[in-house]
Amino acid sequence: MNQAAAPGRPKQGTAPSGGNTGHAVTSAGAIFSLRDVNVRFGGLMALQNFSMDVQQGSIHALIGPNGAGKSTVFNCVSRFYTPTSGEILFDGHALQKLRPHAIAGLGIARTFQNIELCRSLTVIENVLIGMAPRIASYFPFGPGRGRSAAEKNAIDEAESLLTRLGLISLRDVPAEELDFGAQKKLDLARALASRPRLLLLDEPAAGLRTQEIAALDALLVDLARTQGLTIVLVEHVMQLVMGVADRITVLSFGQKIAEGTPAQVRCDARVIEAYLGRDENA
Amino acid sequence: MYGTPRLSRLAPLLALILLGFVLPLLLPQYFLFIGNLLMMYAVLAIGLDLLLGWAGQFAFAHIAFFGVGAYATVLLQTRLGLPFVAAMPLSAALAGLVGMLIAIPAARLRAVYLALATFAFAEGAQWVFNAWDGVTGGADGLRIKAPELFGYAMGTDPRAFPFMAVVLAFVIAGTMYLTSSRLGRAFCAIRDSEHAAAASGIDVRRTKILVFAISAAYAGIAGGLFTTFQSFMNPDSFGFTQIVLVLSMVVIGGMGTLPGALLGAVILGLLPELMRTTMHSLLIWQELVYGLILILAMMYMPRGLWGTFVRRRAGA
Repeated sequence: MNQAAAPGRPKQGTAPSGGNTGHAVTSAGAIFSLRDVNVRFGGLMALQNFSMDVQQGSIHALIGPNGAGKSTVFNCVSRFYTPTSGEILFDGHALQKLRPHAIAGLGIARTFQNIELCRSLTVIENVLIGMAPRIASYFPFGPGRGRSAAEKNAIDEAESLLTRLGLISLRDVPAEELDFGAQKKLDLARALASRPRLLLLDEPAAGLRTQEIAALDALLVDLARTQGLTIVLVEHVMQLVMGVADRITVLSFGQKIAEGTPAQVRCDARVIEAYLGRDENA
Repeated sequence: MYGTPRLSRLAPLLALILLGFVLPLLLPQYFLFIGNLLMMYAVLAIGLDLLLGWAGQFAFAHIAFFGVGAYATVLLQTRLGLPFVAAMPLSAALAGLVGMLIAIPAARLRAVYLALATFAFAEGAQWVFNAWDGVTGGADGLRIKAPELFGYAMGTDPRAFPFMAVVLAFVIAGTMYLTSSRLGRAFCAIRDSEHAAAASGIDVRRTKILVFAISAAYAGIAGGLFTTFQSFMNPDSFGFTQIVLVLSMVVIGGMGTLPGALLGAVILGLLPELMRTTMHSLLIWQELVYGLILILAMMYMPRGLWGTFVRRRAGA
């Protein structure tokens, strides 16, 4: 599963095209930061003094063995978990003080490792649900004509998003009837529908075929480079991580063990040890 | 499916209103009584379905709100001298408000805990109906004075029938509008995945409180309807049997679908009358029969009659 040396595309350097100096581990230019975040479940430290800075417009991968705490990071951002201590900052807002639905309102969208869709609703209805944070009020009572126009615009936009992701032919199919790859895409489409500024992707490539991963690779690069979207990516498929990530943070047992460019992380002894175990004969 | 419901979908509602005015001229009183009963159950079932089928909240307090609506409609007229036209909407609003107050703590609970907490509330409400002698008449019940609508006296089955039909038509139209709106989508979203809903910016707590309030207001409307064709009520009218009956309507008809709720209301609403008239000796087994039908439906027809029918048709 973990291809340590995947064929990476030629990298354009650490810093995204915004002109940031991405090498220094400072918060300069960081749009999204975690500061000394601790998460404790009973006796288990799921995250221990974890800090991370994500530069605006970059693709930042978060990798590590199973159970390292990667999804815990996302669940803290979504406010499904509350950190025991520490700060999570996005664009000047302290997220740990907000309620879950308000996170989306700030422009943060996410996908889920185990795909969370509204299973009985159709593909387009799921995308429309993703648009909720951009729609001022979802209370239905009001002037009928204005409501219909807003709804029509939303449907037009949802359709163009589905076309872009190759799901338009499945527009009116209930989500539960889609195959796995299409469900993954729909989870992504729902997240993108909110027009986020920060996108958290939890294992988007898991279970996808090679060509599908290549298409995902191209889509993520396009979103970050041409549309300035900031992406945090939790992923085990190294082909994708090494191909698209500007920076990589490595977690093991709730602690950060390495951070840097894909080239730096690939050669890091602690990373190799965390993934492959210590070489007893060395 | 989206936007305001198309006019063609409203045609059956116009037919319903028309029948409401024509049938009292043609049918004998007993059939009109059955019709009134079914229309009242339809409003109850549609309201419960919003909470149970659309929003996925397994709550048992619906009959208590039905009782609040019925008692309030009568008491606002007899004690405060309000006209029926004000008393009925106010009672529905009161039921909605009580539903909202229940939802504020109950929205934190899930699955069986929510079911137990709301069941406890329903039992508590019935205890209040029983014990608050001075207001509700206690176990002896209340005589219902025939309500008047702008000088048109109801209180009998033929007189109440047109009003029931008009109210049911508006309830169905309102439900079509609600379920095809963003709020309706939000209900489905919190039912299918609270995580996806919250991550998509839907305020799960507020949505739950809203659906509890709206569902309770429907039950309150049904309570108001109860007073237009019944002449007497006591706490037994709002007891455990009724909870099971309305729950069965929604589950057997098909959760989360408007035609399903209507179908369930008609079939299960007719059943007790059928048993009373043709199978009198079976009447004592009534609750057992409901329970059996409910269990069989959940095992072999989880989508209910309507859901199974739609599937068959789509698959053919």
